[in-house]
Amino acid sequence: MLVLAIDTATKACAVGLCRDGKILAEYKINMGMTHSEGLMPQLEQLLQRTGVQKGDIDLIAVSMGPGSFTGLRIGLATAEALAYAWQKPLQGVATPLALAYNLPVQGIVLSPVLDAQKGNYYQALYEWQDGEVKELQGVQVVNKQQLLENLAVQGKPAVILGECNKLEGMELPAWCSLAPDYLRLPQAAGTALAALKAYNPQEQNGIFGLEPYYIRKSEAEELWEQKHGKQ
Amino acid sequence: MNKDIYILGIESSCDETAAAVVKNGREVLSNIIASQVPIHRKYGGVVPEIASRNHIRNVLPVIDEALAKADVPLEKIDAVAVTYGPGLVGALLVGLSAAKALAWAADKPLIGVNHLEGHVFANFLNDADLKPPFLALVVSGGHTALLVVKDYNSFELLGQTRDDAAGEAFDKVARVLCLPYPGGPEVEKLALEGNPLAIDFPRAKLGDNFEFSFSGLKSAVINYLHNKQQAGEDVSRADVAASFQHAIVDALVQKSVHAIKQTGLKEIVLAGGVSANKTLQETLAKAAERAGARLVHPTPILCTDNAVMIACRGYFMYVNGEKSPLDLNAVPSLKLG
Repeated sequence: MLVLAIDTATKACAVGLCRDGKILAEYKINMGMTHSEGLMPQLEQLLQRTGVQKGDIDLIAVSMGPGSFTGLRIGLATAEALAYAWQKPLQGVATPLALAYNLPVQGIVLSPVLDAQKGNYYQALYEWQDGEVKELQGVQVVNKQQLLENLAVQGKPAVILGECNKLEGMELPAWCSLAPDYLRLPQAAGTALAALKAYNPQEQNGIFGLEPYYIRKSEAEELWEQKHGKQ
Repeated sequence: MNKDIYILGIESSCDETAAAVVKNGREVLSNIIASQVPIHRKYGGVVPEIASRNHIRNVLPVIDEALAKADVPLEKIDAVAVTYGPGLVGALLVGLSAAKALAWAADKPLIGVNHLEGHVFANFLNDADLKPPFLALVVSGGHTALLVVKDYNSFELLGQTRDDAAGEAFDKVARVLCLPYPGGPEVEKLALEGNPLAIDFPRAKLGDNFEFSFSGLKSAVINYLHNKQQAGEDVSRADVAASFQHAIVDALVQKSVHAIKQTGLKEIVLAGGVSANKTLQETLAKAAERAGARLVHPTPILCTDNAVMIACRGYFMYVNGEKSPLDLNAVPSLKLG
């Protein structure tokens, strides 16, 4: 099964191809250019250099977030349109889960974090056990202190990855460290492998009406609910 | 005989997600619009993030429906035309990303279209005889401009607003009159019951050019209502709406007539959301006729945002050999001309 993977949840633009669990090609750029400018040329070059034909792709994998709202929508709109044009299935993957594939090491708690703005982070916790990734905690919106508290509860050495640049310079307990810079951000490999794992041809709901995992409502909705109460 | 050309148009610049298929630039095969107007009403205006969230939900279903209704499969489409500006950046990016991926996946050319040029081209779909050169008055929530459409792919801007757009003035006046969003049609409805000559709101004196200014008029309406309220006097909201509309239409018509006389062109078209305003249509039609020109305006469904006009504009770019690269980005403040 040939998987084309797209991850635009963070500032890095990552695309890749994976056949039956083997990574054929990965192409990630993190130069601060917009995904709108970067994504399509990157996809085109990926196929050109690998010689893979558009019609050979069996599954489109896309990183669903949480992450940058605009980035996620660019990735999802692109992935949906590809799946639609090629009439192939689409598999969404939680961005933190894809990130857990960056460091498949047993015995540590992995804490992917993504920037939730205003000093907050989206945090989920995972652990590798016998070659499988296990979710210890679903996505929560936390500040720096809560982020560490969630880790402390697990009582194991922990590694934070994802968008953790703003955590640099912060005093961390001895059992907790930041992943090295080159392992932090999403790579298409993680997205492809997590999608392959989750994909079930019997459970396809089509590609229409999918939404990124925003987690948070828009600011306008939050303000409206503060004023008028939930509806 | 030449082969028929089918263009798929995609539009997501503000609060409508739209897709359409147009044959040979003039024949509408489908026109699908998912409107978000009711969603934004409670906020009193378009909320960009909410607009983007609805676009991503709607964009593929709308494209699918447009192709299905036109009974034209994607393989038969000759090019994908998409709005890349002006508009809300996050909203534009949804339609643009889908269009780029669709064009690339199906090996079709991509054509980035200026939304405002699209509004002007909506007139080709309503009037089979319309051919350049002609004048265009673009009036929307973001723009007020007069331009010469010299031929299908060349435009000359004569002048535009120095401050607020006409549609923006309508929306702000609607707000101070406590009318729901979107304000333009509501002001027009209320104006029907009022006297357009009841209050003499000021018109900007800009001299012998093709520029507009509506911020003074908007402030005059706000001040008028404020003063009346302070003095405890009753206000006829209908008179305010009618007199405001009269002043704005007056300014638009005056400059349009000036442009007709100056250029000697025999046709003028209306374009943009405010072109749906009946008073503007009727007043401009009469004044243009007196100046020796004919007014063309789009049907109501093509006055507001739609993808038919994008496909139509895209068609004329396609036959002119224009296409866009895959790194095309959204340009929120894309200019006219």
